[in-house]
Amino acid sequence: MLKDFSQILKEIDDDIHTLSQVELKQKYLSKSGVISKMFKELKEVPDKEKSEYGLKINQIKTLIEDNIKNRVEEKLEDKPLFKIDPTAPFDINSKKDKKPHILDLRGSSHPLMQELEKILDIFQRMGFNILESRQLDDDFHMFESLNFPKGHPARDMYDTFWTDDNFVLPAHTSTMQNRALRKFGPPPIRVVLPGRCFRNEATDASHEHTFYQIEGIYVDKDISFANMLATIKSYLEEYLEKELEIRVQPAYFPFTEPDAEFVISCPFCNKSGCSTCHYSGWIELMGCGMIHPNVLNSGGIDSQIYSGFAWGVGLDRLTAIKRGITDIRKLRDGDINFLRQF
Amino acid sequence: MKLPINSLKEYTKAKLNIENILHILSSKIGEVEGVTNLSEMYDGIYVAKILSKKDHPNADKLAIYKVAVGKEEIQVVAGDKTLKEGDRVAYIKPGYIVPSTYKTSDEFKIKAVSMRGVLSKGMLCSEKELNIGQNHTNVLVLPSDAPVGKPFSKYYQLDDTVIDIENKALTNRGDLFGIIGLAREIAGAQNIPFESPQWYKENRSDIKPEGNILPIEINNESQTLCPRYMIAVLDNVQVKESPVWLKSILIRSGIKPINNIVDITNYLSVLTAQPLHAFDYDKLVSNDPNGKSKAQITVRLARDGERIHTLDNKIVELNSNHLVIADSTNPIAIAGVMGGMDTEVDENTKRIIIESASFNRFSIRKTSMDLGIFTEAVTRYTRGQHPQLCLPILLKAISLAQELSNGVLASNIVDSYPEPSLTKGISLSIPRLNILLGTDISKEDVISILKNIEYTISEEKVKGDYITVVPPVFRTDILIPEDIYEDIGRIYGYENIHPTLPLRDITPPKKNREIELKKKIRSILSNSGCNEVDTYNFTSINAIRKSNQDPNVAYHIKNALSPELELMRTSLLPSLFDKAQSNLNRNIQTLCMYEFNIPHIKGYVDNFNLPKEDWHLSLLFSSKEALIDGNPYYEVKRYFEKIVNTLGIKPFEYELIFDSSEVDLPIWVKNILPLFSTTGAALIQYFKNGNKIIIGVIGDIDSGVKNNFKLPRYTAGFEINLEELKRCDTLDNRKIHNSKYPPITQDLCFTVNRDFKYKDLETIILDQVNARNRIATLECLDIYQKDSDVKNMTVRLSIEHMEKTLTDSEYEKLREKIFKKVLVLKN
Repeated sequence: MLKDFSQILKEIDDDIHTLSQVELKQKYLSKSGVISKMFKELKEVPDKEKSEYGLKINQIKTLIEDNIKNRVEEKLEDKPLFKIDPTAPFDINSKKDKKPHILDLRGSSHPLMQELEKILDIFQRMGFNILESRQLDDDFHMFESLNFPKGHPARDMYDTFWTDDNFVLPAHTSTMQNRALRKFGPPPIRVVLPGRCFRNEATDASHEHTFYQIEGIYVDKDISFANMLATIKSYLEEYLEKELEIRVQPAYFPFTEPDAEFVISCPFCNKSGCSTCHYSGWIELMGCGMIHPNVLNSGGIDSQIYSGFAWGVGLDRLTAIKRGITDIRKLRDGDINFLRQF
Repeated sequence: MKLPINSLKEYTKAKLNIENILHILSSKIGEVEGVTNLSEMYDGIYVAKILSKKDHPNADKLAIYKVAVGKEEIQVVAGDKTLKEGDRVAYIKPGYIVPSTYKTSDEFKIKAVSMRGVLSKGMLCSEKELNIGQNHTNVLVLPSDAPVGKPFSKYYQLDDTVIDIENKALTNRGDLFGIIGLAREIAGAQNIPFESPQWYKENRSDIKPEGNILPIEINNESQTLCPRYMIAVLDNVQVKESPVWLKSILIRSGIKPINNIVDITNYLSVLTAQPLHAFDYDKLVSNDPNGKSKAQITVRLARDGERIHTLDNKIVELNSNHLVIADSTNPIAIAGVMGGMDTEVDENTKRIIIESASFNRFSIRKTSMDLGIFTEAVTRYTRGQHPQLCLPILLKAISLAQELSNGVLASNIVDSYPEPSLTKGISLSIPRLNILLGTDISKEDVISILKNIEYTISEEKVKGDYITVVPPVFRTDILIPEDIYEDIGRIYGYENIHPTLPLRDITPPKKNREIELKKKIRSILSNSGCNEVDTYNFTSINAIRKSNQDPNVAYHIKNALSPELELMRTSLLPSLFDKAQSNLNRNIQTLCMYEFNIPHIKGYVDNFNLPKEDWHLSLLFSSKEALIDGNPYYEVKRYFEKIVNTLGIKPFEYELIFDSSEVDLPIWVKNILPLFSTTGAALIQYFKNGNKIIIGVIGDIDSGVKNNFKLPRYTAGFEINLEELKRCDTLDNRKIHNSKYPPITQDLCFTVNRDFKYKDLETIILDQVNARNRIATLECLDIYQKDSDVKNMTVRLSIEHMEKTLTDSEYEKLREKIFKKVLVLKN
């Protein structure tokens, strides 16, 4: 009967995290230490189990020694005694079928990514290309190319993070509009621009300093505000799998003219009022508008010939309301128990 | 912007039904943030008269009043003992709410209570309790003509509804920060022509002083930041409380009344959005070190380090970015932002200077942000006010001051307006308008919509499909035809635009390779028990150090939320360390998590000198299970190989970090190396046309790092660069081999020395067996190390022949060749 090593291994695991180098040596490697004692016990082990028992003790010894050695700063001077063979399929003395069964556990893709994939899929079917957004950008793309001159008060609407080197953490995916116009031009241009955005604001159950946005732009001859309403509506109806009533209310963005806030009838209560729509029956979903001629021109598109629309929708809130997540911070705290439910 | 509905009556005949106004505002102007019904807020409050007063028998600080409310006589106990018989006061009946607590989290409802043994039925209110001023020590005494018994809200003209419109939506509409501007839009939306009041359009600057001339001089040294500066002096003013109507409109607009002069400036600002300021003439002259009995005003940039004592009683240090109004020597106001205490108008003021000026909105914004001062004036100036309006509004202020304070004009209108700015005509195309909106609006409708909101359109400027219009002067936001198309669209009504899908060609969009790749990997990993996480880019110096990494290559955020979030991460794995640890602290024994994201490293830049943004995939496996054998390297390698095998990319080579002699590693690889154990982790390499591509690093995490993050021993991971992975070729799936002859399979055991690499064994076997018509399939069964020098490798070798059934002796020959080769290498 082989001795149960699990107790001692558990103990070691704790000790490695709590004991100092000296204490570890004292407890395990000294003459009266745990390992010496174990070797002494070897005599009592039946012959046929001796070798495996010995191997175990050696492994434990190695583990402790390894740990102590790795704590020493100049690791490169260590003798390469414990080098693994990186080309092998598994380690010495460890057969594949003894591995933990993580494959049985419930894997998951992230809820935000699930929604993002669905949305991108719809837009691809509608004929849109995809270009992902940047996470560090310059003033030109984040502001100037979007018709926000330096010092423009509208910049205050975006609580932007800046690095010491004057790079900007995009506060909206519109930071990609200029690149998209250049990359996919000349029109027709149909492209969605998903990406991470950042706002310098305190975090609570419904606000995050980090979030996803999906920008869309459509530029061609004779593109109208009416086209914008229908395009966004079709996408939302496909995504939410519901017929919707829509409404727009005026808004202001320097990079669109006219600009509007896109509002839909609440898909969860059919306008009868629920907590998601704050009992108004309507949900304000995104900013949108006809791309400002200055933005088209700075993207190399002749605004006399072409016109287009753009919109930007936040993914986090959409995901939260769709999946019934009441605290938006849950999306990024990495809790496996939460993630396994998706 | 607060809009008291009743205040619109004076300016337009538009219908002022609340529902209708709310609809117009939210569908044509901007988001409505809130609606406050003031009649409700002031419900249960009446004008009362003090009939008698007596001391409270049990409390020195209380008085017992008998008050009349209409015909009723009521006993009220109050803490203010200064009230006299006949005083008019505001009285709240029991059962009603104190206005200052209305709709707050601690609403206070008045009850009939016994105060130290004397019954008090209701309460006499202070200004503060009525939410109309700051004073909370005394009961507010109303003017002696206040009608006893009348509801307070009627008497104070607070029987109104106030709509709060979100400022954001009005960012470019300076004119809508005034009641007149909103009245114009509401009229326009109801298709009713609007006409600004006569005084708003007044352009006469030749009015003459009526009495003594008080000398004043202005000197505008900064015409670019102050396109127009004008003032007028009034003598003989009586500073006192404003009449009820004036107080009322300010209160309803969310501004506390102060005195008649200050109230006039605030009132006009609320009406027209043009901020005004009043200085005390005598204080200005007497404080000026070089006063010479004449007021001298200079508009200039502040000198670095100059200070001013502002109206909110703070000392503010200025620098040369800040525009100030100064006397001959010192600043007396921060231009367009806040006035100074030293020239404040107070109850002793006799002579005033009224300023009406135009300042550069960008400069005001910068000053306000620098100094952290946000005032009503800043809000309005930064939205853009036209210099043309300075004059009519100054004239109106003078006339109100004459009327309400008996002031006498004591100077000419002094005006510095070196370069009058003119409004230009803009040419509109009706077909273009209809294309952009997707509408069919007639020329006549366009003209009527625009004329209603005071655009100028003369007959001769209408030619065919084109109209040249002149936007009204206060519309500083109108620069190009599209701005006017928006006005037309809004007022025509977006709800009248019929959604129509665009027509498009049937060209399929291009697939985005990166998105596709991530999607595939995401599906492989989530089907293999791994959980995807999405973690922050932000990290701290400490967290980077804990990972053995160099914080100096991380981008530092100037305005970070906290020191914990001040750096941009340089790799993804440390975020996973952090998340793994918090999960293992809960009930999780074993986990495998992964993330796709972009790390940023200083010095790693793209062709545009922007930080190069490669997508990385990181995966971390960690287990608290005590009885796991072997190095966790092999655990994560299974995941990696699962991915690349499914994607059909092969073969990769693994070089132990310890054995690698590579000196010229890419910066992103160098940056992640310190996370790993040198003897338990490897570089993942791919050879393409003889060039080595490093995909990433995989293996056991450095034990120091594990310690720092309190991670269990059995923790390993990888971080790979998808940009590099995309460069690897997928296997050519046209070369599929398939033999109809049965393979021969045997298990072979090799005793080799401990440093002998599995890869070498595999190479020998494949080299010996594989031929044009013969294919080997190899599976490793066991690697067993008996003592410290040698190990046994057991493999299962299957050999297939394409053209015949292999015989045992043929297999035997191959086996011998293999063993011979291994023996050579072994020694």
